Amino acid sequence: MSLPKRIIKETERLVADPAPGISASPHEDNLRYFDVSIQGPDGSPFQNGIFRLELFLPEEYPMAPPKVRFLTKIYHPNIDKLGRICLDILKDKWSPALQIRTVLLSVQALLSSPNPDDPLATDVAKHYKEDEKDAQRVSREWTEKYASE
Amino acid sequence: MSSEKPLFFAGSDDEEDPSSIRESSPRPAKRRRLSPPANTQSSKKLTFRAAYLGSFIVGNAWSTVKGKGYVKPGDEILVERDDLDQDQPSSSRPKGRTAASGKSVSNNGKFKQLSVATMLKAQPKKDTKKKAHTVVRLTSKGGFEFGRLPQDVATWVSRLLELGIVDFRGSSVIECPAALHSGANIIVSLSIYIKASAFKTLNTASNPPKAMFNEGHETSDEQVLRERKSSLLHLFDVLGLKPVDGSDMSKIRQRADGLLGDDDLMQLTQRPSTSGKLSKSVRTEIVGDGEEVEVEADGEDLSNNELDMIYKRAQQNDQRMPEMDPPETFLLTLRGYQKQALCWMHSLELGIVSAREASSMHPLWSEYRFPSEPVEGIIDLTDDERPFYFNPYSGELSLDFPKTERKCRGGILAYVLPPVTLGMGKTIMLSALIHTNRGPDTAPTPQANEQPGVKHRQLKLDKAFRPMATQISQSSRGPSATLIVAPTSLLTQWAEELQRCSKSGVVKTHVWHGQNRLDLDAAVEDEEAVNVVITSYGVLASEHAKVEKSTNRASPLFRAVEWLRVILDEAHHCKSRLSKTAKAVYALRARRRWAVTGTPIVNRLEDLFSLLKFLDFAPWSAHAFFRSFITLPFLAHDPKAIEIVQVILESVLLRREKNMRDSDGKRIVDLPAKDVAIETLPFSAMERKLYDSIYKDAKRNFENLKAKGLVNRNYTHILAMIMRLRRAVLHPRLVLSEEEMKLPSGDGAVDVEQLIKRFTENENGEGGTTNGNAYAENALNNLGKDENLNECPICFDVMQTPMMFPRCMHKCCKDCAVSYLEACAFKDEEGKCPTCSQGPVNEGDLLEVIQPRTRGDGTASNSQSALPQVTLRRNDFATSTKLNALVENLRRLQDQDPCFRAVVFSQFTSFMDLIQVVLEREHLAWYRFDGSMDVRRRNEAVAEFKTPSRSPKVLIISLKAGGVGLNLTTANHVFMMDCWWNAATENQAIDRVHRIGQEKTVYVKHFIIEDTIEGRILQIQKRKTALVKEAFRGKSGADSESLENLKIMFGDD
Repeated sequence: MSLPKRIIKETERLVADPAPGISASPHEDNLRYFDVSIQGPDGSPFQNGIFRLELFLPEEYPMAPPKVRFLTKIYHPNIDKLGRICLDILKDKWSPALQIRTVLLSVQALLSSPNPDDPLATDVAKHYKEDEKDAQRVSREWTEKYASE
Repeated sequence: MSSEKPLFFAGSDDEEDPSSIRESSPRPAKRRRLSPPANTQSSKKLTFRAAYLGSFIVGNAWSTVKGKGYVKPGDEILVERDDLDQDQPSSSRPKGRTAASGKSVSNNGKFKQLSVATMLKAQPKKDTKKKAHTVVRLTSKGGFEFGRLPQDVATWVSRLLELGIVDFRGSSVIECPAALHSGANIIVSLSIYIKASAFKTLNTASNPPKAMFNEGHETSDEQVLRERKSSLLHLFDVLGLKPVDGSDMSKIRQRADGLLGDDDLMQLTQRPSTSGKLSKSVRTEIVGDGEEVEVEADGEDLSNNELDMIYKRAQQNDQRMPEMDPPETFLLTLRGYQKQALCWMHSLELGIVSAREASSMHPLWSEYRFPSEPVEGIIDLTDDERPFYFNPYSGELSLDFPKTERKCRGGILAYVLPPVTLGMGKTIMLSALIHTNRGPDTAPTPQANEQPGVKHRQLKLDKAFRPMATQISQSSRGPSATLIVAPTSLLTQWAEELQRCSKSGVVKTHVWHGQNRLDLDAAVEDEEAVNVVITSYGVLASEHAKVEKSTNRASPLFRAVEWLRVILDEAHHCKSRLSKTAKAVYALRARRRWAVTGTPIVNRLEDLFSLLKFLDFAPWSAHAFFRSFITLPFLAHDPKAIEIVQVILESVLLRREKNMRDSDGKRIVDLPAKDVAIETLPFSAMERKLYDSIYKDAKRNFENLKAKGLVNRNYTHILAMIMRLRRAVLHPRLVLSEEEMKLPSGDGAVDVEQLIKRFTENENGEGGTTNGNAYAENALNNLGKDENLNECPICFDVMQTPMMFPRCMHKCCKDCAVSYLEACAFKDEEGKCPTCSQGPVNEGDLLEVIQPRTRGDGTASNSQSALPQVTLRRNDFATSTKLNALVENLRRLQDQDPCFRAVVFSQFTSFMDLIQVVLEREHLAWYRFDGSMDVRRRNEAVAEFKTPSRSPKVLIISLKAGGVGLNLTTANHVFMMDCWWNAATENQAIDRVHRIGQEKTVYVKHFIIEDTIEGRILQIQKRKTALVKEAFRGKSGADSESLENLKIMFGDD
């Protein structure tokens, strides 16, 4: 099956002009499957961490959103134990005008600003709501533990 | 037999005219058509009573007496017909001849007594009743009966004797037992003499010939004829007489060159025999009441090559045909080949012997030679090599050379040839003819004695219609008006052409069509008035229907007064002899008849029949006759059929085609090249889904029917499904209406429904400009600036047909926008802008950004500097792959040639409607031509299309309405939007543009959607069969061939 021109172009641009703190490269045997790594944003509990993610472009892409999942364990109210991400543009707010780059930038932004009011990992969200400092400490610990090279 | 006296006129010197045997016998008022005309050269004395034909041995005659001394070997014997209950005069009794018996016996000895087994075997199994009628007695010279002929011989010998056409003389006993007993075997030698009376015209012939071959009923006369025929055939067989020329050989005398070789004939007739399907064609052929051949199987359809072969003979001498100049009243200059044609037509009209020397033997006849008689003295034939002629189909015998001859005045002009200049070549030809033979035909009705059937009927019409006075006045002057019947679309063209090539006032034409038909009788009968009336097949048929309905309704077309001449243009319109049109055409009264058509034989030999019927080309104008001698033999792969057709055509048809050369060896026509391309297009995803689901439905349906063996019964239903598929290929919208009317067929149908609805939610409406809202100002201001650099946010490509979202003026490609909105709808969400999520937006709200054509209209020449004006158009019309392809082609065309002329063909008027909308949206001037428009509007459309202008024009034509006649050489681009079942129809349509007068290369483009029924239609086109054609004609049955086609349709490849 041939790859849509759009995916090829997106890939080229991701490689040629990567967004700061983000890298994404397709698998050689499946050009719809990307290995992604995102640097934890400065000033966040995830600073200095390198988070690995997987990104898959489904058949319907770009009419349907890409599927993105954290592979690195992370302590974040909107990311669950399995690495699934709660982000509106990956669901109902998806638009074909978005792209891999914008999705990953959004994920990066999510690390900077967790939103415990719309939780996916309820216990983490609870923790963040009740004692944000302590929760951030755990996040830092996890980052150090799982997301350091 | 009325009398046998005249048979023996050998010695009678005074009263009989020896020049012609036929003359001497009472001649029937109406001669049988199939008997050849008397040949004037036959002034040789035919003074013989009977001519020796041969001898044969009968090995198993049997004795009826017991005892010795009745006969012995070598005795001369007599052969007598037992006439116990027959009223026929027995003419068998030889008149006491003193034939030398010894000679006949000379070859005895060789024939020993036959075995009992042979004897038994030879006993035919006839029923006793019949037996009583066929007894043939052998008597001694004294008249004493001693034996009889065995049944198998007696059967036909008795017939011959009854008919009084043979004599047994010099017959003798060869071998017999010394003592006879009842049933004892006797070997006799019988010598046959054929009496002069056999060569007379048959009395029984007073019946119309067609009755003879009627299915079912057979009059006693016909029975006699048939028996005569079979007896003679039997006789010839027994005597070992073989034709030296004619009938069963493909040789025509005096014509060695240019004839079909035997191989060609083989190819023509034996073609399907490789598949060994003889029985099949026969089977299908018998279907129905025998009126029409049902099959269009391989066995009957003719390919172009085969047709060429058939025509070859008619054309072989044409290069050398004499020429003739038209009178001065004819203004145009004719080309050489046209002058030839004029000469040919002229001589046919005047009944001068065919311009081509017709020296062919009548195709039904064979030439035989009288064998020399073993006994000298009795018969003195002056000429040893004396030929005689036998018609194995009718049983007729003749001493005169049976020439092919024509009695009808007129013929077939097969014009595969486009016009020389602007007009139609055939129009010019016929116009020249009208000028040449203009005066009233004062000759007595030429057909007076020769057209019994037709004449009869017409007389009836006369009485009903006209007061006697008119008839008389008219007939004194002779008819002078010509009636031209043409397809509606060509009426004005005829009128114009006739005017154009005529000195003013000489030819006055009147198009008799539409509401205001004037009083034709008055117009035509006034000497100074109209002399050419032009009407359409439709009017002709309806007028004829009126006449048929009530006897006192008169129609000026079927007048008491004859037409001088009737010309049928595109005469294949009446190829179906049972159609109303054909019947109307047959009923016309005319002295001279011409059929003009590009395809005298469309794809079956039977097509020719209708033309011959119109021409009154006896005997072939009788259908039973045509069928017996042409259709049936052809189906049985008898080369004879083709040969007969060739001979017919030779005398009645002039064929002109593009590739023919004139007497100087130059091509008659030199046309510019024709470039045919097929553009195979992929469906859009939506169309594919829709089509596939309809196809799956149809296929499931078909498989079900096939499994239940109900395909034949549901033929029409299946065809409807196919029709639906063909429409779905063109535009999803075209299946909508039908879908709504259809009953739900399982769950699949609902799905389809939704798909279609979604696809074509919005339609109709004017393209227009919108001002947009405040936000979009910027976007709008920048419109057209660097439109080409914009990348679609969805496909990341340069935007194809950029569409704007009306609320925010964000842009993306049309395809992307549409599929995004569909995706939204699929999720039950409102449509919105993919970039900023503003909504709701419907597909129809989108605004298409229309780039100006670089050199579209006059203003665009300086487009380099000035900012081109960009317009927006509401996207309220759902297009389709084919429409897009058309539009793209037209755009490209316009870039190359700002004032191009293109012709777009489709079979579906509903699709033409859509094409119209698309062209409108492209701001292309379009004109439309289809069967639903009246003549005036059609003419206007064509005229306007042809009017020169500096802007592009497109003519949308329905394949059926515009397939013939029209001259569209102003255009040189043709687009075929859909494919037709047979390629010939398509080609004919293309030839509207690719004909004489065309100076540019003609570009033809077929649009085919890949992986659809269209590919399979092409496959069927190649198979050269016509499954649906049959159904289109209203037949309900399907033969196995059609079933094959259906399997192609629904096969899995």
